[in-house]
Amino acid sequence: MTIELQRPVGDRIVVDDLDRLSFRVDRRAYTDDDLAARETTRIFDRCWLYVGHESEVPEPGSYVARDVGGRPVVMARGSDGVIRVFANSCTHRGALICSQPAGQARSFRCPYHDWTFSNQGDLVGVPIPDGYGPGFRKADFGLAQHRSDSYRGFAFVTFDPEQPRTLTEYLAGATEYLDLIDDQSEVGMEVIQGAQLHGARANWKLMMENSVDIYHFRALHKRYVGYMESLGSVPPRRRGGFGRALGLGHGANELPPAAARPLAYWTPMFGAEVRPRIEATAARFVDRFGAERAERITGTNRAVLIFPNLMIIDAIAITIRKIDPIGAGQMAITSVALAPKDEDPDIRELRKSHYLTFLGPAGFATPDDIEIIESCQRGYLNRTVRYSDLSRGMNKEVPETTDELPAREFWRQWDRLMHGDDGHLDVAHRAEMQGAEAR
Amino acid sequence: MTTELTVDEAAQVRLWHRVSQFLFREARLLDEWRLLEWYDEMLTDDIRYSVPATDVRGETADALGLIDDDAARLRQRIEQLLNGEVWCENPRSRTNRMISNVEILTDRGTHLDVAANVIVHRFGHGRSDAYVGKCRFELVVEGESFRVRRRVVVLDHETLYEHGKLSIVL
Repeated sequence: MTIELQRPVGDRIVVDDLDRLSFRVDRRAYTDDDLAARETTRIFDRCWLYVGHESEVPEPGSYVARDVGGRPVVMARGSDGVIRVFANSCTHRGALICSQPAGQARSFRCPYHDWTFSNQGDLVGVPIPDGYGPGFRKADFGLAQHRSDSYRGFAFVTFDPEQPRTLTEYLAGATEYLDLIDDQSEVGMEVIQGAQLHGARANWKLMMENSVDIYHFRALHKRYVGYMESLGSVPPRRRGGFGRALGLGHGANELPPAAARPLAYWTPMFGAEVRPRIEATAARFVDRFGAERAERITGTNRAVLIFPNLMIIDAIAITIRKIDPIGAGQMAITSVALAPKDEDPDIRELRKSHYLTFLGPAGFATPDDIEIIESCQRGYLNRTVRYSDLSRGMNKEVPETTDELPAREFWRQWDRLMHGDDGHLDVAHRAEMQGAEAR
Repeated sequence: MTTELTVDEAAQVRLWHRVSQFLFREARLLDEWRLLEWYDEMLTDDIRYSVPATDVRGETADALGLIDDDAARLRQRIEQLLNGEVWCENPRSRTNRMISNVEILTDRGTHLDVAANVIVHRFGHGRSDAYVGKCRFELVVEGESFRVRRRVVVLDHETLYEHGKLSIVL
C-alpha cells in the first residue's frame, strides 16, 4: 500500500475522491467515542428510524416495547386501531410504563405511582389527585407521542420534530424495494414469531457495510456455499446483478438467486412435492404484475440498506435486520423473518429452515460475518493503517454487486449529516452519483 | 441407621445413574471435539437438535428459532467445525459443559424424557462466554445404553448481545 493513500486528508473522515476514483473512510469512524456520541445527535436523533412491522401489532391493544435509536419506545395499536409510537417513560417521574416486550393492553400503568395511560396515550388515572392544584390537567401529561408513519407495513419513527421530510420522501428510491417486498402477498406480509437477538463487538457501521457487500460472499462464506451445493442448489440461471444508490444514504444490490426462493422460485433443493404449488404461485404473479415485474418480485434477490440502520435481505428468506450501536465498539442486532401471511405451512417450514441455515447467530454464514467484523474492529487497533478502502466500482457506469456503491452511498449521507451545519441539507437524489463516479 | 432401597427405588437409581453417565459422556465428547463419535454413537438417525429463540423460549412450532437441525444439517455443522471452515472456531474454542439437575421426567420403557440444566463455558479468540440453558432430551433405550432422538436446549439468556454468535454445539 502506498504511503500516499494513507496520508491524512485534513481532518476528513470520508475521503471521496472522484478524480482518483478513490473512496476512503478514516477508521476512527469505527473506534472514536466522540464520533459515536455525535452520531446519536446528528443521525439517530434526526433520521427516520425503523421501529417494527405493522403485523407485530395486529389488533387494537397490541403493542411492542423496544429500543429505537437508543431510546425506549412503545409502538401500540390503540383501541381506535391507530398505530402510535410513544416514549416509554412515565410523564411523572420517568419510569418505563411498559416492561413487557410485547402483548395486549388497554392501558399502561407505571408501577412507580400507578399513573395510568390509555393505549392511545392519554393519562387516565392519577392516584390521590387532590395533591395537585387547580392548574393540574391530565391532558398535559399524556405520553409523549413521537412522529411516526408507515410505508407498506414498515413502521418508522423520527425523534426530530423539525425533520423536513415525510417518511416517503425520506425513503427516496428505497420505496421501490419495499414495494417489491410487500407485493409478495395479496393479503399482507407478517413477521414470524421468534427474534434472533444477538450482537457483535464491532462498530455498528461494519454490519451495515457487510450486509450490502457481496464481494465477500464466496471468500468468507465457503462453508455455506458448500452446503448449498451439497443440497443440489443449481447455479444462477443468469449471471450479473447490480448495485444501486437509492438516494439519502440508501442503497441496494439486486442479483439473480443463487438458490431457491420460497415465494415462487423453485429449485430441486425444495423437493418435488412443493414444485407444482410454487410454480403455480409464480404463474399467478405473472398474471397480476406482468412477466417483467413478476420476475423481479419472485425471481430476484435483493439486499436493501435503509439509512441509517435497517437492512432488508430478500433471498432464500426475507430477513429484517435492525442494527443498534452500543457505543463505538459494540452493537445489538435484531433479526426477524418476514413472510406472506397466507403461506402454506410446509412452504413456511422450508422458509424457516433455509433462513436458519444461513442466518442468525448459529447459521452457516452469519457467525462468520460477526467474526470477521469483530476482526476488523481489532485490526483498527493498529492505527498505522489510517483508512479503509471502498472504491470498488467507481470506474463503472453500472457497478456490479461485487462493487461497493451501496456502502459509498451510506457513507456519503453519513458524512453530510455528521458535518453539515444542518443535518437536513437538501441534497439532491444521489442516484446520479453513479454517473458522476463513472465520469 | 441404614435404610434398604426397595427394588423399585434401586431400579430407579440405576436408571438415573445410567442416564446421567450417558449425558456426562455426551458432554465430554463435545468438550473434547469428538463430534463424529458423538454423532455416530450417541444420536439416532432421525435426531432433531433445536435451540429456540430467546424471546420465545418454548418449543413453539410456528416460531423461528436459532437452531433447528435435522440429522443432515447437524452432520454438516459438525463437518464444518472439524474442517476448520468455521472461522470463529478455528482455532478451536475450549469448552466446559457443566451438566446438572438430571431428572427423568417420564419412562416409557422404550424411551425416556429427560431434563437437565447446562452451562457451557466457551473460551476462544480472546473471549469468554457462558451459555446457560435447560435441556430436554428424548432418549431411545438401546440395550443398556441410549441414543438421543430429540435434543432441545432452551437458553435462559434474554438476548445473545454479548455472545454475538452461537458457533458450537451446545
